[in-house]
Amino acid sequence: MRNFFNGIGNAFKNVWLAIKEGDIFVKLSLIIMGLGYFRRKQYIKGVFVTVFQLAVILFEYVVGIPYLSKFNSLGTVQREMVFNLNTMKNEVNDFDNSFKILLYGLVSLFVLAVALLFYFMNIVKVRNLQIADESGKHINNFREDAKDLLNEKFHITLLFFPVMGVIVFTIIPLLVLILVAFTNYDETHLPPTTLFTWVGILNFKKLFASSMTVTFGYSFKKVLSWTLIWSFFATFTCYFGGILLAMFINNKKTKFQKMWRSLFVIAIAVPQFVTLLLVRNFFADTGIVNTICTHLGITNLFIHLGFVKSSLSYIPFLTDPVWAKVMIVLINMWIGIPYLMLIATGVLMNIPADLTESARIDGANAAQIFKKITMPYVFFVTGPYLVTSFVANINNFNVIYLLTNDVFFTQNQYLANSSAQEVDLLVTWLYRLTSDEYNYKMASVIGIAVFLICAVFTLVAFNFMIKGDKEEEFQ
Amino acid sequence: MKKTVNSIGRHLFLAFLVVFWLTPIAWLVLTSFSGYPGVNISHFVPKSFSLDNYRLLLWNADTVAQFPRWFLNTLIIAICSCTISSFYVLMVSYAMSCMRFKMRKPLMNIAVILNLFPGILAMIAVYFILKSFNMTNSHIGLILVYSGGAGLGYLIAKGFFDTIPVSLREAAKLEGASEQKIFTKIVLPISKPIIVYTVISSFLAPWMDFILAKIILNSGISKDWTVAIGLYNMLDKSLINNYFSRFCAGGVLVSIPISILFIIMQRFYVEGITGGSVKG
Repeated sequence: MRNFFNGIGNAFKNVWLAIKEGDIFVKLSLIIMGLGYFRRKQYIKGVFVTVFQLAVILFEYVVGIPYLSKFNSLGTVQREMVFNLNTMKNEVNDFDNSFKILLYGLVSLFVLAVALLFYFMNIVKVRNLQIADESGKHINNFREDAKDLLNEKFHITLLFFPVMGVIVFTIIPLLVLILVAFTNYDETHLPPTTLFTWVGILNFKKLFASSMTVTFGYSFKKVLSWTLIWSFFATFTCYFGGILLAMFINNKKTKFQKMWRSLFVIAIAVPQFVTLLLVRNFFADTGIVNTICTHLGITNLFIHLGFVKSSLSYIPFLTDPVWAKVMIVLINMWIGIPYLMLIATGVLMNIPADLTESARIDGANAAQIFKKITMPYVFFVTGPYLVTSFVANINNFNVIYLLTNDVFFTQNQYLANSSAQEVDLLVTWLYRLTSDEYNYKMASVIGIAVFLICAVFTLVAFNFMIKGDKEEEFQ
Repeated sequence: MKKTVNSIGRHLFLAFLVVFWLTPIAWLVLTSFSGYPGVNISHFVPKSFSLDNYRLLLWNADTVAQFPRWFLNTLIIAICSCTISSFYVLMVSYAMSCMRFKMRKPLMNIAVILNLFPGILAMIAVYFILKSFNMTNSHIGLILVYSGGAGLGYLIAKGFFDTIPVSLREAAKLEGASEQKIFTKIVLPISKPIIVYTVISSFLAPWMDFILAKIILNSGISKDWTVAIGLYNMLDKSLINNYFSRFCAGGVLVSIPISILFIIMQRFYVEGITGGSVKG
């Protein structure tokens, strides 16, 4: 952190020095950015930089100023029909669109920030050019500069488009939604017909508060605890199941290892939306598994044992909260274990043979070798994967949505009030809030909560792993 | 004697697991040949077999099921987004792995942070942004969304590039090759495994994706859809009794090419995961 602030401090010092000690052209570059280059005969570069400057100014004038001036209130003019005396017709007035103000305001702030960064970097560059010129060093012409982009500065060429893509399709959208968390953008404030505005941290308070009508606090606690329980079970069942399966198949005593592996892979090679939708019909209340269970008397047995309510004539695999949760974890094992088996196979094959061999010579039995050598090694190699897959499970939208959407309906009125369900993860709840309720403000708040949970977990886990770093032991 | 019993038990256990794992797949294939269009709830094996489901799906498109059209849509989207995102991923991973510049570490840290945000959150916002540019319900919008942020998924390919000996690149540099030449003439030709992996996995993404397509192509016009949304829609409560078997047939048809590609890819996937993490 200190490095970071030192870096910023140094950068400002450099800019200040460049302005103070630069010649008149460097100082004039503060007004017209290309001038410093013209002085050093880098005409094309000068033109480019000046055109960039003009483009930014034009953009801020056309888009930035009109939208940023309303950024404070997110618009004041509601959409209305107004009778126009000239055309003698009812026409839509010149209304404000709060979302557009938010989006374009944000984009113009972003452009402004980037442009300012370039502006200051430009001064330092021009100053460096002056120093190089005065000490008689060679100054690149345009052709040499362009060539540099394929050599020393090749990373700029490589990264320009990908980074632009990430900015436009990831960073800006995320910033927009973070801002939405501080507004009242919901079903009663939907642009373009109605305006929304800033409300501060009201939505965050709402997420932790509960009353008779607003039950976000209640739902958040329930959904969050299920999300964490789900991630824990989903990650570890698949992890250990996969490793055990891989070891079982990799055992010397198993014949046709490749065939067995391929058979398991077939199950995950079929797209999830096909298998999960199929499995959900497989386990439907009037589905085939229930028919078979009734025939075999399993349904009656479960009713007898109290696993199924006696009022039902079927097993509510995906419609009862408890049953559904268990089934979701089991079905997820069905998808996840072959994946982990593949990964674990790769890892197991890489275990240095001399490690296990020397242990065997020392008189360790199979169980001891597994506990003391195989597991620590596998753990060490797949540790980072374990952390990322826990985070991925927190965000595992597909499994929950495809298995339970349109099938599971909550009976809990408190949850229903905030359009949550017992089997919802935070992400599926977030999605339902936007797609069914248009409650974007709360969805954004939940999204930020998910991010914080994932970030804290990742930091703690990686710190823990670095502390227990056993890199040397296995090398 | 004990050994043979043990061995038979071991293989029987595996066979049992395989049966358990493949039962739904078997049901998918069997139902796709069923003569009854709805969900058969009383028999695992259909009573009558026919090829009607495939015939209807492929040659008799109706307003609900336009499988050939969806397949074509998805294919076009997949090819375009695969091209863009493969380039992005390879470019970013090479820059992060083989080049040294001031912003390298900060950019990598930003990528880690961005990957922690739930993807669905960004998708919802992307939908609004596309909407304000009138690009929802267009395939171009979907392609841009699939490939735009692809650069963030560079880690596996970077893990591979990290294993290429530095001496190779240094030797080329001494011979006077530029960075661009080293990338295209030396590193890429020996990186076939990771190129195959990147290309296949980004080609598969649009086929496997469901939710992003559902958010962006939300007009309800069947001919715009991708395979995933189309098939999902067939299971709507009002349609399932007439279309379930056809859903299965569609599932089989789309699974065949995907499974083949997936099986080719998984080898590289394992190498990427384990290779990348050994180096930490």
